[in-house]
Amino acid sequence: MLEVQAVSKTFHPGTPNEVRSLRGVDLQLAAGSWVIIIGTNGSGKSTLLNAVAGTFFVDEGNIRLAGRDVTRWPEHARASLIGRVFQNPFSGSSPSLTIQENISLSARRGLRRGLGWGLNESLLERMRDEVSRLNMGLEDRLENAIGSLSGGQRQALTLLMATWLRPELLLLDEHTAALDPKSADLVIALTEHVIARDKLTTLMVTHSMHQAANLGDRLIMMHRGQIIHDFHGAEKRRLRPDDLLARFEELRRAEQLDESAAEMLAERYI
Amino acid sequence: MSLLIGTFTIGFILSLLAMGVFISFRVFAFPDITADGSITLGASVAATLLARGLSPWVACVAGFLAGMLAGACTGLLHTRFKINALLSGILVMTALYSINLHVMGKSNVPLLSVTTVVTQSEHVGLKLAHGATSFNLAGWEVSVRDASVLIAILLAVVFTGSLLYWFFRTNLGMAMRATGDNSQMIRALGVNDANMIVFGLAISNGLVALSGALLAQYQGFADVGMGIGMVVWGLASVIIGEALVGTNQLGFTIIGAVMGSVLFRLLVAVALRWGLSPNDLKLITAAFVFCALIVPQFLRKKRLRSAHA
Repeated sequence: MLEVQAVSKTFHPGTPNEVRSLRGVDLQLAAGSWVIIIGTNGSGKSTLLNAVAGTFFVDEGNIRLAGRDVTRWPEHARASLIGRVFQNPFSGSSPSLTIQENISLSARRGLRRGLGWGLNESLLERMRDEVSRLNMGLEDRLENAIGSLSGGQRQALTLLMATWLRPELLLLDEHTAALDPKSADLVIALTEHVIARDKLTTLMVTHSMHQAANLGDRLIMMHRGQIIHDFHGAEKRRLRPDDLLARFEELRRAEQLDESAAEMLAERYI
Repeated sequence: MSLLIGTFTIGFILSLLAMGVFISFRVFAFPDITADGSITLGASVAATLLARGLSPWVACVAGFLAGMLAGACTGLLHTRFKINALLSGILVMTALYSINLHVMGKSNVPLLSVTTVVTQSEHVGLKLAHGATSFNLAGWEVSVRDASVLIAILLAVVFTGSLLYWFFRTNLGMAMRATGDNSQMIRALGVNDANMIVFGLAISNGLVALSGALLAQYQGFADVGMGIGMVVWGLASVIIGEALVGTNQLGFTIIGAVMGSVLFRLLVAVALRWGLSPNDLKLITAAFVFCALIVPQFLRKKRLRSAHA
């Protein structure tokens, strides 16, 4: 379904701010799999998601999605295959447009937008139906500007919008990190529901070890722009939040060792 | 009375400018200065064609299309070449000054003895009035000519406003509004936001140029300097309109822009009547917009301070 082949990306090359965000990342996703990505800050997990989404072009490597080479496709073209939910709950919807206008925009994701009427009765009916199932009482407020809603409500709607037309790939970038615990639980429940219902292929970045351990059927751990662990099947199912924390602790120790070794060498030879 | 009708007529003509400024400044949050040049472009294209004896309708459409082209240039400078929004507008506006001179061949084209939208609507009005040249409206003596021009312009504005309202509710129009609101989101939904900006600015400047084309026909000449400060004028109308309707619902904001334009024109007429020197007009307009921009901030700060106290 998704093939990321030897992808590298360096930001600000040749300047003091040079960051090698992705270093030869290889990743293959089977159709219908739900892959969780965890990693330290700056490990490249969000960068990987953005590389797949087409926010920027990669320096090296190829990205294939649903049988097509999308490496040089601009972001808006890839959107025909990809549904996205961002970390910031305000990034996924247009605040001054109404709820129904926002949803109607997502109902034409990747399709031609002409002078046809944006809202029609059959679309509105499905909206009322699906929005009422969020249990947020929003079905009576479809004509309200979406900017007047809370972060949790907007994130739930963004998820609904991202999957309104079934995407080949769903990208979730820490989509509950900015929500209060209750809203986060709600959005996670909704996420599980939609992914199971539509059998979506999903790539999800998270900070929560709890989510990482309990969700998905595969987990990859990134560090310094590379994939360092890849847990499948039974191994993934056995993982507990504590195991993941232990892996992070291991990483931290290794880093410290690197630094102290470098210091020692510097003292001795410089 | 004739003066009042004239004020309303110019207010309605400039409401097309206000709609254009509304699209660039409010829908796209794009500070588009091109309007200063494109209003003159619309006027000079229309005036030149009229002076050659073409139909006023052809002249208006040509003015509109020329304005669209100018707006598209600004949009392309910004989206393709990544030039700052304000600077893109300034570049095109500056270039338009020379282009307008080339279009007209001189700095001023008079439209005294040619058929214009104004003479045509007067003609229709007089025909409908069966030879009467004035009628009585609530005790006022109203000239049929003035009234028919006002009505014709009003119809044009209502038509354009409705068309805009309809457009912004189509799939394409909604994508455009969302582009100004949240470009990240609209790209993620498969829309090329750069194209939306180019097309949106084209529509915006098309309306501004149409306003210029009508203004030239109403005042009877096109002048290369007539566009100076028009962006600020349009912005003032939009701000007044927002204060009048007090909501950001699409339909109301378009109506607000029209109302704001007329009210602002009235205020200016009154001020001029009271002895304001026409030379000070631009200064006063700028000062007005300045106040309209900072007063809400000032009030918010004051409210915050009193809430803390």
